[in-house]
Amino acid sequence: MTYSSLKSDYFVVWNEIVKNLKFLLAYPIVFVFWAIFPIFWFIPFILQGQALVGGLTSEAFAQIAGTPEFIPFVVIGSVLNSYVLSSLYGMGESIRREAYQGTLDYVLASPCNKAFILIGKAISESLTSTIFALSQLAISIMFFGIELTVGVIMPILFILILLILGLYGIALMLAALSLRFKQAHDMAHTLEYVFYLFSPVRYPVESLPIWGQIVGKLLPLTYALIAVRSLMLLKQGIATVYIEILVLLVLDSALILVGFYLFNWMENKTKKSGIISQY
Amino acid sequence: MYVGLFLRHAEALGLVNVEDDRDEFSIRAVDLTKVFAKKRHKGILGFLKKNAEKEKSKSEGGDAVTVALDHVNLKVRAGELFGLLGPNGAGKTTLVKCLSTILIPDEGTAVVNGYDVLKETTMVRASIGLVVGGERTLYWKLTARDNLMYFASLYKMPRAEAKNRVNELLELMGLIDRADERLEDYSTGMRQKIAISRALLHNPPILLLDEPTLGLDPTFSRQIRNQIRDLCKSQGKTILLATHYMYEADELCDRVGIINNGQIAAVDTSGKLKAMVREKELVEVACVNPPLGVEAELRTLCPEVDIVTLIHGDEARGAPSRIKIIGEGAEDHIGTVIDALRKRGVQITSLNVGMPTLEDVFIKLTGGAKLVERSEAAIGE
Repeated sequence: MTYSSLKSDYFVVWNEIVKNLKFLLAYPIVFVFWAIFPIFWFIPFILQGQALVGGLTSEAFAQIAGTPEFIPFVVIGSVLNSYVLSSLYGMGESIRREAYQGTLDYVLASPCNKAFILIGKAISESLTSTIFALSQLAISIMFFGIELTVGVIMPILFILILLILGLYGIALMLAALSLRFKQAHDMAHTLEYVFYLFSPVRYPVESLPIWGQIVGKLLPLTYALIAVRSLMLLKQGIATVYIEILVLLVLDSALILVGFYLFNWMENKTKKSGIISQY
Repeated sequence: MYVGLFLRHAEALGLVNVEDDRDEFSIRAVDLTKVFAKKRHKGILGFLKKNAEKEKSKSEGGDAVTVALDHVNLKVRAGELFGLLGPNGAGKTTLVKCLSTILIPDEGTAVVNGYDVLKETTMVRASIGLVVGGERTLYWKLTARDNLMYFASLYKMPRAEAKNRVNELLELMGLIDRADERLEDYSTGMRQKIAISRALLHNPPILLLDEPTLGLDPTFSRQIRNQIRDLCKSQGKTILLATHYMYEADELCDRVGIINNGQIAAVDTSGKLKAMVREKELVEVACVNPPLGVEAELRTLCPEVDIVTLIHGDEARGAPSRIKIIGEGAEDHIGTVIDALRKRGVQITSLNVGMPTLEDVFIKLTGGAKLVERSEAAIGE
């Protein structure tokens, strides 16, 4: 791989990101959504928790979660879950939009490696989720007393990247389904609730029955949440979460490989059946 | 230039041997076949119905497929402007999509610029510029410049060269002043010019153009036809032009292939194709709003002639419908035809006796498949 080849691949990724952001900015109403939705999204979690545990902390909650502080617990769950939402809906929807606009044929008939287009799409989705997540975090710090120490920022970012990579794998699978079925939205919706139910977004994974805990342990979000909460709430060092990091690495590799394989397989299949151009 | 760079780069990496496998033909389709499953129903209920129909079809010995391309063999010479003429649904777009690797053929293969569309897809893609699907295939929420810069990146063009090339093409298309406006504010013709610019971005040796003037007004149609001619004659590009406009194929193309029901019915120069029916007589009656069944009635009244066909015109745009009678002794039936039309209250606007045209060749070869009629005004002459 030469420098000029790398540069042109970077140009593909960059232009894909720029294109997607320009689409987003073409609809100014999205700013209203970004400003309001984060608040609406996770405040009910907090209020529900307060109502159930009778305050901001609970000993009963501490026995299963390891921390008595319910609010930071759900804030972390909500922030990380933002990436799940954007990954599940983003890439599949982007492929569907390309098909609807009639541009998918041109994208697939270009000589560049499709992986770079997909990486560009994935990064654009992550950028928007990051804005979404940061706004939730800012609200939490300003109004709910969440503390974020500088020392944990880098380890948290590292875990976040590991989480996002695994989610990209799932997003690739959904994008592949979009090529074939033209509508992966319902599948994404179902998966969203699988994550929501079996990952410790709002409650610790120990609250689930044994079989539910097993399902939860197949999801990258579970390990990312355990690791980030250990760092932020239990004030542990990154060395203490090495198992979660290792599992995330294994899950990421498997999900990305399966994702790319499925996308390429589905691309060929739809080119054979002729439904590639349909929407 | 960019394709050259791309090919040299690929050759340096050992991916291809650029010198091999070239001949005088830029495009060769060999037994190209594409079959689509018929899709009549959608949704869960449709799925159940489809299965029931499939069973019924099987038991009746029928099939549930459409043969879009039926063992198509085609050769297009380097630097040639080749017209692929056929009615809607003839298989033109499917052929273009197979040649451009958007679709994978079920049987046979094609070689484009020396590269196999099944095995060397990246090199085929780098060798062609594609216009298929018209103005709808661009990002309307982006500006013309943004659209072209994005697609330039997909062709691995370095950013600085892409910028220059985009400016050059916008200048060529006369759109440089509106380069930074979103395409949603462009007219259909302007968007089509951007679609053609996209095909030219990487300066490919081969252009595959599928209905590039569809839906355009006369001025834009003429401009685009002139550009197509210029790209072939001045820049030496090989162009496959799929069209259902007879006039376009006749005016522009070095050779014309007539395609119908997924099969190539004939390939030759326009002149030689016309010679196939030159010895025949032609009577053409232009009329307004001919009633249903008139074609069959005239066939009964003129049993000796080879062809009686009705071509529906775009009457709202000033192009009347036309009844064509071709064959030995067609002139002898003029009186009979006029009487029959008058009896049915058809308003005759003109009557001509002459020699058959490319359109008549098409009618003869396809058994009367309908092409879209355009008024002279719409053609832009």
